[in-house]
Order: sequence, then C-alpha cells, then structure tokens
Amino acid sequence: MYNLGTVFRFEVIRSLKKKSFWIMSLAFPLLIGALFAVVYFSNQATDKAANDTKNQKFSLVVTDESGLVDKQLLQQFDASESSDKQASIDNVTKGNVDAYFYYPKTIADKSVEIYAKDVGLFDDGRYEAVAKALLQGSVSMTVDADKTAVLQDRVSFGTTTYKDGAKFDGIQQAIIPGVFLVLFYIVIAMFGNQMLVSTTEEKENRVTEMILTTIQAKTLIIGKILSLVSLAMIQIVIILIPILLAYILMHDQLSLPGLDLTSLPIDPIRIAIGAIIFSLSFLLFTGLLVAIGAIAPTAKEAGSFFGVVAVLLFGPLYAASLFISAPDSPIVRFLTLFPLTAPIPLLLRNAIGNLSLVDLVLGVIILATSAVLVMLIAVRLFRYGVLEYSRRMSLKEIFRR
Amino acid sequence: MSVDSKSKDAIIKINNFRMDFGSKTVIKDLSFEVLRGEVFGFLGSNGSGKTTTIRALLGIYQPTAGSLLVDGKVFSVSSGIRLGYLPEERGLYKKETVIDIMVYFGQLKGLSKREARSQADAYLKRVNLLDKANTKIDKLSGGQQQKIQLGITIMNSPELLILDEPTKGFDPVNRRLLMDIIEEHQKNGTTVIFVTHQMEEVERLCDRALLLKDGKAYAYGSIKNIKSKFDGASLDDIFLKVYGDENKEVGGEL
Repeated sequence: MYNLGTVFRFEVIRSLKKKSFWIMSLAFPLLIGALFAVVYFSNQATDKAANDTKNQKFSLVVTDESGLVDKQLLQQFDASESSDKQASIDNVTKGNVDAYFYYPKTIADKSVEIYAKDVGLFDDGRYEAVAKALLQGSVSMTVDADKTAVLQDRVSFGTTTYKDGAKFDGIQQAIIPGVFLVLFYIVIAMFGNQMLVSTTEEKENRVTEMILTTIQAKTLIIGKILSLVSLAMIQIVIILIPILLAYILMHDQLSLPGLDLTSLPIDPIRIAIGAIIFSLSFLLFTGLLVAIGAIAPTAKEAGSFFGVVAVLLFGPLYAASLFISAPDSPIVRFLTLFPLTAPIPLLLRNAIGNLSLVDLVLGVIILATSAVLVMLIAVRLFRYGVLEYSRRMSLKEIFRR
Repeated sequence: MSVDSKSKDAIIKINNFRMDFGSKTVIKDLSFEVLRGEVFGFLGSNGSGKTTTIRALLGIYQPTAGSLLVDGKVFSVSSGIRLGYLPEERGLYKKETVIDIMVYFGQLKGLSKREARSQADAYLKRVNLLDKANTKIDKLSGGQQQKIQLGITIMNSPELLILDEPTKGFDPVNRRLLMDIIEEHQKNGTTVIFVTHQMEEVERLCDRALLLKDGKAYAYGSIKNIKSKFDGASLDDIFLKVYGDENKEVGGEL
C-alpha cells in the first residue's frame, strides 16, 4: 500500500478546501437551527397571542339546553342567558352582542353552536376556547380529579418487562446497536454521490493512465474510500456539534425531553454484530459505487445507476414494520439474505433483537462474500473501465482484457 | 524478425507479444528491444497498436501472450523503475492548483514533499509559470496545461521516459520545449521511447525505430538501416509507402 498516505492526504485536503464541502456540512445544522428558532419563536408568539386572546373580554349570551354549564361560571365570564336562540343569533348579526353559544340538549351527538363577530382568523379561535372552557370547567366541578384525568387521557403508564430473570427494555436495548443503522444510512446517503464523482474524476479529467503507472489501482481506491470515510466523520461531527449545543443551551426553552445516556443498556454482542454488519455493508456498497463509477463515462451517467442501488438499499425501510412484527416471514428472510438488500434488514433486526442465529450467520457470510467479490471486480473494472473516456464499457469487454 | 540489438544493454525486452480484445487481435507477434540510454521511435499509423503495446508494457493491460519486461521485470509501480510517462490521453485534476498537482505527483513518484516542491518550483521558473503556481488548472490556457503535464512527466528524473504522441495538440513553443527536454534527458542517459507518426522528429531525435503494421514489426533497427531497406528514402516517404494503402482503405486520411 505504498503511497496510500499520500493519496489519503491529497483527497482529504482538497475536499476540505472546497467551498461545496463546507456549504454541504454547514447547511444541515444551519437549517436545523433555523427550524428550531422558527418553532421556538412561533410557539412563544402563539402562547402570547393565546393568552392575550383568553384575557380579552367580549359580550356573551348563552343558551344551555344540556344543563351542564355552571351558572356561577357563566357569571365569571359576564355572560347572560337567553332562551330565544334565533333572537340571540340576530343580535350577533346586528352587532348588539359579540358572541352567542348554543349548547344543545345532547352534546354527545350534536355540536355546540357558536355565533360570533369576526375578529380575524386567529382571534376567532377565542370563542371556541371559551365555549370549551365553560363546558369543561362546569363538568370538572362535578367529577373528582382522578376521573377527570382518565376522561381527559392524562394518565401516565410505566411498564417494566423482564427477560431471563432481569429487567429488559426493548426500545432502550435497540438504541446503541441502532446507531449503526443510522450511521450506514447517513454515510451512504450523504457520500454515495461523492464516491461516484470521486471515482469518475480520473476518467473525466483524463488523468487515469498517469495515475495507474504511478500507483496501484487498489491503493488509489482504498485511499479514496478512507478519505471519504474520514470526511463523513468530519461532516457528522460538524452536524452534531451545533445540535448538541442547541440541546444543552436551549433544552428548557424548547421543552425537549430529558436524555440520560448513562441509563442506556449496553449489549456488547449486539454492538459487535452491528459493527461487523455495518463494515461489510459499507464495503459492499462502496465496491458497487466504484464499479459503477468505473463503467460509466461521466459522474452524471453514474448517478442514474446510483438511483437503482439506492432503491435496493433503502427500499427495505418501507417494510420496517414487517421486520418487527413478522421476522420469520419469507419476504423478511429474502430481504435479509439477498446481498443488495441485506444491510438494512440485518442492521434493523439486530438492533431490535429478532435476528435469528441462522439468519445472522447466513447473512454475514453472504454479505462478506459479496463484499469481497464486488470489491475485487470493482478494482478490475476501475483498472480497465477508467481508460474508456467517452463511452460506457460492457462487463464482457472488461473481463476480456 | 531478428532482434538486431545487444540483449545485455536492453532496458526493455518484448518477446512474442500478442494482444487480443475478444475475437480481435490487435498485436499478433511482436518482439523488439529498447537499449538503455537511446531514443527509440515507436512508429505506426493510428490504430496500429502502439498505445496498446505501451499500456501492456506498463501493466495497464494484461498481454494475451508473450513477455514484456522493463529492466528484466514485469513493470509494476513498485518495481523501482523511475518512469516518466506522458500518455496519449492526458489531462490533470482541473480543480486543483498547479503546485498542489505537481507536488502530489512528485510524492507519488517517490519524492519527499520538500523535494517535490523544489523540483516543481524549478520547472515552473524554467517555463515562466512560477506566477501561476497557485492557479487552478482549469484557469490555465491549453498550452500552459501542456507545460504542466510535461513537468509532471519528468519529475524525479526518470530513467525511462515514454512519450505517447507527445506533440499531439502541442503549439510550436511547447513542441520546442519538449524537444529540448528529450535532448537533455538523452544527454543524462535517460532512455526515451517516442511513440509517434511525426517522421521529421523521429529522423532528428531517434537512434533506432520500429514500424508497426498489422500487429507486427514491419521494419526495425537503426534509422540508417531502415532507410537503406527502403532505398534511402526519407522516413516521411517510408511512412507513406508502408501505411499509405492502409489509410486509403479507411478513407484516405493520413
């Protein structure tokens, strides 16, 4: 691997010098930051507006045929009662009164009718809020707090499950092994296209022969792959730092849930399996991208092939619920053991803990064999395919050489 | 076909080389040697198999049969030969600066970063491009890019210099620069293989030559011997005589 370090440094440094790298890296956290800011300020403005609206006084007439609305509460709202529905509506229409609420006899199957003066799209919401507050406040006076909580679906539940005589939390158990699934998705989604561009670059710049008589094809490819992995790590750190800072500094303002990483269970076997599947999957798809880049004459044409790879790769995500509910079904097993679709099912099933030993062993063997074969073929394709500067080569032609 | 050179002085030995691409045979049976320190002309019409032979010699293609040796070994990037190769299809990383590219290739050719920088600066000064050191390749003119390609080719003082159609697309200034470089390297003992169909330059620079036709060596030896074989005709006339019919068959272009 003579010159691997030189290729690696060259590829990393020139990417770091590119404006596009920093734009891509910073765009995501900036967008997230902007989104958080918009949500935060929007929430604050909405809360303020809602409070202002609630505190606004307006003249109100009520007809209560249901008998549920408390009279004292009506007085607190300075509301007067009326038994003539039509006259009350006419009063609202003429502007003599701001609002009229009509509570029907049976509110379970009939709507509460609200007639009111228009005060703008947002502020019109105050009428329904007051009508609801009158009803809820009145009913809650007659029911105790616990029953009210049940009716309002405010009861919280805590579940403790056991496995092999010890406490077991399936969701928490899945978090750390699941990181490999997220990592794989991010790396391929963010860097798949860069890998293609990087592989076709020598061809598009017609520098292939000078390179291939100076360093070995596999050194060049490995150097490129390692540089892209490093750039992916740098990019992930650039993305994570502002998100973590935002979480730490604005945790309370944004009402974010608490995160206690120390309580996360660590299953070393599942983590190790996740790391192995991730590495093999990465190798397989990197090899595929190199092969596509070697055959296609331009990065643009290679991009259309990448679309097919992306569908095979990320397609199984649409069947994610099936991997959880029916891990032994034929379709799940097929997707788990077919090399081009295997990464997502293997990583996901390993994370949630329903990957059987047979599927694990078969899946890893198939993935490893495919990854090595694809990488060997990719190096050959690169050596011979990259000499064809203006046309796409067939596999038959390349293997004849 | 007899090999009329002394094997002990040969830096390149090609024996019974055959190259098939599927059912098509590009090189049928080619044998020749290039002597250490000479300027060797490798001649032939377009599509005669010159570039294929060079690619097979440099390990880019696997030969169908025969042996192609550089300094007694099959060439690989780790075989220790200081090679300068200017391919027929050439270009550079367009979005990188001149100095970054030169230092990169210098390092790939075994120089330290400092040595590569020093050689790059010296070459750029020689060709009046020092002020362009930090300019991106795609901002240079075509002629300036050619100078950079030549500079990269001769980094780390190659002992074997292979120039495939080196004057293709070159302006007169760069053609002159190339000739000067070939002469300088020849004086320093570098072996130069000059792949071309520019007979005027071959006649002026080359010690010996090979004319490739139909995948075989049609004529091979010293320039003087080749000329005498064709009754003392100029290389231009010989080229027309050997390849004229072939070019007519494909439309009369030369």
